[in-house]
Amino acid sequence: MNAPDRFELFVLPDGVRKLTITPDTKIPNAATFKVEKEDHTLANMLRMQLLEDPKVLFAGYKMPHPLDHYFVLKVQTTPDTTPAHVLGNALTELIQNVGSMKNKFEMELIRARSETQKVEMGEGEDISHQVDMDF
Amino acid sequence: MDMYNGGPEISIRSLRKDGMKFVLSNTDLSVANALRRIMIAEVPTMAIDMVEIEKNSTVLTDEFIAHRLGMIPLTSFDVDRIQYTRDCTCTLYCPNCSVELTLHVKVNVDFDDMNDPTIDKTRQVSSLDLISSDENVKPVSDDKSHPILIVKMRPGQEVKLKCIAKKGVAKEHAKWSPVYGVAFEYDPYNKLRHSHYWIEEDENLEWFVSDNAVEETPIDPNEPFDYNAKPDRFYMEVETSGCMKPEDVVLRAMTIMQDKLGGLQIKLDDEFKEDTQRWGY
Repeated sequence: MNAPDRFELFVLPDGVRKLTITPDTKIPNAATFKVEKEDHTLANMLRMQLLEDPKVLFAGYKMPHPLDHYFVLKVQTTPDTTPAHVLGNALTELIQNVGSMKNKFEMELIRARSETQKVEMGEGEDISHQVDMDF
Repeated sequence: MDMYNGGPEISIRSLRKDGMKFVLSNTDLSVANALRRIMIAEVPTMAIDMVEIEKNSTVLTDEFIAHRLGMIPLTSFDVDRIQYTRDCTCTLYCPNCSVELTLHVKVNVDFDDMNDPTIDKTRQVSSLDLISSDENVKPVSDDKSHPILIVKMRPGQEVKLKCIAKKGVAKEHAKWSPVYGVAFEYDPYNKLRHSHYWIEEDENLEWFVSDNAVEETPIDPNEPFDYNAKPDRFYMEVETSGCMKPEDVVLRAMTIMQDKLGGLQIKLDDEFKEDTQRWGY
């Protein structure tokens, strides 16, 4: 009856900011990013990418409550850069990675399709039973 | 800076109509897991979301039938052309954001057969009885001899209803998930010791290594444990409901991943512009 709508999980309501940056008042070069309507999918990816950066001293995220659909990401960096800047770099890096992953997948798809065709036409060795292991 | 030089690698191990297997390597666990999560919960498909029942004299209640209808996978090859209802300009639903399917089955009483117990008088209403208004969005039916059963009827009963199929994602309801399962494994020999197996006496006798182990080298007992090692080969298998090709599910998931990251990057840039003076960033 009073169950929240399921679409609250991923629809950003009017007037709500997707991203809010709050600089830390006590720790130098630290900030908290609040990202609305996102979950572990994005948060964990960002955290791991940030930790690859030697200029990042700390990166961690949490989803404060299961009924709130946002995560907070805390980042502390070395003095020669800023949390927002390293987050930007992490995003660029990830976008590049996913882009190349997609390209590789498309290339592989062309290869796999021609392989399947060969097998169907009786040419070539049937690799499907060798590599395809059904449990 | 990045330990995964050259970017992620993919090798497809098998490709079938309703499923595929591939190995994703040279990337982080978090990326592989994000891909898995998006395939399960964020790739949009079509599914029946509203049912208007005109007549129902079957043994199943209206809501029971409505629920069963929702679970039927619908072909969603060109789901991109359909809008989400919440983004549509219409008030309830319209052809831009929905597809109509109708079901009307009436089982007539045949008085000659009535008293003959050898004749099966049960009428099986299945997904084949659903008539779609859109050729591209209809119940998945690769095997016409095994359609999806909706309700069983006896002579004299009638069911007449209209279904509205809408575009959605599985985050809202699992019926919109394009996949029946996504298998995900890394490190089949448990070299990283991420798994702790419960054992009686001997781990090697009581736990099987998975079939993916043929792609890796077994543990060398003389080699010390490498506590810095990270997983970087992920064995994935995608099994679809038949609503779209497995390779399309993966590609769409990757596109969604790009959009997610890209969207955040744009928001970050906006924040930069707004807050330059305030924070001095």
